[in-house]
Amino acid sequence: MFEILSTVLKYIFVTIIYLFIYSIIRLIYLDIRSVDTSVRKREKHVPYLKLINRREDLSFKVKEHYALNGVVLLGRSGKNDIVIADPYISGSHARFTPRDGQYYIEDLNSTNGTFVNDTRLKNEPKVLRNGDRIQMGQVEFVFVDGSRHKR
Amino acid sequence: MKGLVSYRRPVVLIVIIDAIAFSLLFLYKQPFDWYVLPAGLLVIGLICASFHVITRKSLGDEYLFLITAMLTSLGFIMIYRLDPVYGFRQIMWFSAGILLFFLSFFVFLKFRFWHRLFYYYVSISLALFILTLSLGESVKGSKNWLEIGKFSFQPSELIKILFILSLACCFSKSEQVIFKGLSISFPQSPVRYRIVLALVSYMPLGFLVLQREWGTAIVFFLVYATLVYAFDDSPRFFALNAAAAVLGAVAGYMTLYHIRVRVETWLDPWKDIAGKGYQITQSLFAIAEGGFFGTGIGMGRPDLIPAVNTDFIFSAICEEMGIFGGVAVILLYFILTYRGVKISLRVKNPFYRATALGITLMFGFQTFIIIGGVIKLIPLTGITLPFVSYGGSSLTTSFIALGMLQAVSVIAEEPGTDGPGPGADKFEPGADESGSGAGGSGSEADESGPETSGIGPGADGSEPASVVPEAEIHGPGAELDEPGPDDDINAEHIKDAECRNLDNSGEKGVAGSNETDK
Repeated sequence: MFEILSTVLKYIFVTIIYLFIYSIIRLIYLDIRSVDTSVRKREKHVPYLKLINRREDLSFKVKEHYALNGVVLLGRSGKNDIVIADPYISGSHARFTPRDGQYYIEDLNSTNGTFVNDTRLKNEPKVLRNGDRIQMGQVEFVFVDGSRHKR
Repeated sequence: MKGLVSYRRPVVLIVIIDAIAFSLLFLYKQPFDWYVLPAGLLVIGLICASFHVITRKSLGDEYLFLITAMLTSLGFIMIYRLDPVYGFRQIMWFSAGILLFFLSFFVFLKFRFWHRLFYYYVSISLALFILTLSLGESVKGSKNWLEIGKFSFQPSELIKILFILSLACCFSKSEQVIFKGLSISFPQSPVRYRIVLALVSYMPLGFLVLQREWGTAIVFFLVYATLVYAFDDSPRFFALNAAAAVLGAVAGYMTLYHIRVRVETWLDPWKDIAGKGYQITQSLFAIAEGGFFGTGIGMGRPDLIPAVNTDFIFSAICEEMGIFGGVAVILLYFILTYRGVKISLRVKNPFYRATALGITLMFGFQTFIIIGGVIKLIPLTGITLPFVSYGGSSLTTSFIALGMLQAVSVIAEEPGTDGPGPGADKFEPGADESGSGAGGSGSEADESGPETSGIGPGADGSEPASVVPEAEIHGPGAELDEPGPDDDINAEHIKDAECRNLDNSGEKGVAGSNETDK
C-alpha cells in the first residue's frame, strides 16, 4: 500500500517541484520584462498609461506602459492600437483622443464599462488629468501626463 | 481573490508538496506516527503566515523566502523520513529561524549603523574563535562546537555573518566608530587599506584551519576573493590573493595529513572502499540507485550513508526523489543566487551592496562545495547544505543572513538615498541636482519615503544620473511610477499621489494660466 502510494507520488513530487521553479522563474521574468524603459527613454514628453495591477496576477499579457500618441484605440481585438486580451474588455473598448493639449477618454459602448476614478464613463468623452485612475475589465491604469509639468 | 488557488502561485505549490509529503510520512511506519500531522500543519502554517506577512506588508523581495521555504520543505521531508526525532527538531529550529529571519530583517533595516561597527565584528569573531579553540568540543575531527549548558552551537556559522559584515565595512571604506567621540578611519593609502583587508580575511581562515574546518575555510576564502574581484579594482591585488590561495593549498596538501586523505579519496575512493572511501562511495551508490525519478520516499536506503542528515542530505534527496529532484534543488539554489545578485546590483550604497553580495556568495559557494563534494566533483569537505541540512546553528544563521538580504532588498528600493552610508555622499550631487532642477515638486518626490522604484521601470536607473532627469520631467507623476507590490498599499499610494496632485495642480494651475496668458 505504502509502496504504491510512494511510487505514484514521487512523479507528482518532481512535477510539482518543477512547476514551482517554473512559476518562480516566470514571475522573475515578468519582473525583468516590466523594466521596459523604451517609453520613458524615448518619449518622455508623451503622456502614457501606467499599469497599477501586479502583472503576475493577470493571466494575459499587459505591458507596464502604453504611450499615448495621437488617437489611440484600446480593446481586445487585434485592430486596436493597444490590445489587451482581458476577457472583461470589449473588442473595441475605449478611445483616447488628444485635443487642445489635453487627452480625452471615451468609452465605446463597452459591455463592462470604463471607470475613471471609480465613476463609470457616460457616452461623452472625459478629460484626463495627470494621475487619474482608469479601470477597465481587470486592468487598472494611471494616466501620467509628463508634458504638463515641464518647465 | 480568484487567483488564490491557482497553480501559478508558488506558495500554493509549497503547501501542496508539504501536505502530500507529510501525509505520506504519516503512513510510512506501521504504528502511525501521530506527531507528523501537527508537525506538517505547523510547517505549512508558518510558511503561509510568513509569506502573507512579506507580501501584505511588502517587505521587499518575496521570491527569496519562497525559494528557501521550498528548500527547507524538501529538507524536512528528507530528515523526517530518515529520523522523526531529528525531523521534529529541525521543524523547531525552523520556527526559531523564521522568528530570527523577521528579527534580523527589522533590526538590519531599522538601525543603520552597521557600517560603523567594523571593530566589533572583528573582535567578536576573534573572541568566538579563541573560545572554540580553548573550550570547544571535537566532533568528527573538527573542533568546532561550543557548548553552553545543554545547548551547543557552531560558532563558525555565526562568524560567517560577522565575516561578511566586516568585509563589507572594508569595501565601503567607512569611518569606524568604537566609542562615542573616538573614531578611527580606514587608512587612506590603498596599500595600507589592502593590508587591513587581507588581515581581516586571513585571520579567520587561519583559525578555521586550526579547527580543521576546511570546508568553511574554503567558503570564506571564495567569498573574500569574489568580493575583492567585484569591488577592488586592482588586478594585482586579486592575483596576489590567488597566488596566496594556491600556495596555501599546496602547503596544506604537503604538510597536513587530513587534506592529503581528502584528495586521495577524491581521486580514487574505490581503493579503500571499506575505510576512508566509505562515505563517498555510499553516496555515489545512493545517487546511482535513485535513477531519474528516485525510489520514492521511504523506499530507498539512504540511511546507509554516514552523516546523511547533514552533509549527505543531497545524496538522500537524489536517491529518493531521483536525479530530477537533485537537479531541482540545484536549480532552486541557482534562482536564490540570482535573486541575491540582482538585489546587490540594485542597491547603491557600497556597504549594503557588499553585504548582499557576500551573503549570496556564501549560500552559493556553500552549496557548490558540499554538492560538489558528495557527487565527487571536488574533494569532499564537510559543510552543511544551507536551508536543507539538519542543524540548528546552520539553519538559524542561514535565516538570519536571509533576513539581512531581505532587508537590503528593501533598502535597494528606497529612492535616492539608501541609508546614511558612507557611499551616499558620492551620489549627493545628483540628488542636489534633482532638488534644484525640479524645484518644489522634485524635492517632494525625494522626501516621499515609502515610495520605491522597485520592480518598476525606475529599477533600471542603476546610475543615479539617469534617475535625475526622470524625476525632473515627471514631477509629481514620478510617484505614480511604482507598481506597489501590494494592492492595499497601492490604494493608499494612489490616494497619496492624488493628494499630492491636488496640491501640485494648484501650483501648476497658476503656472499654466500664466502660460496661456502669454
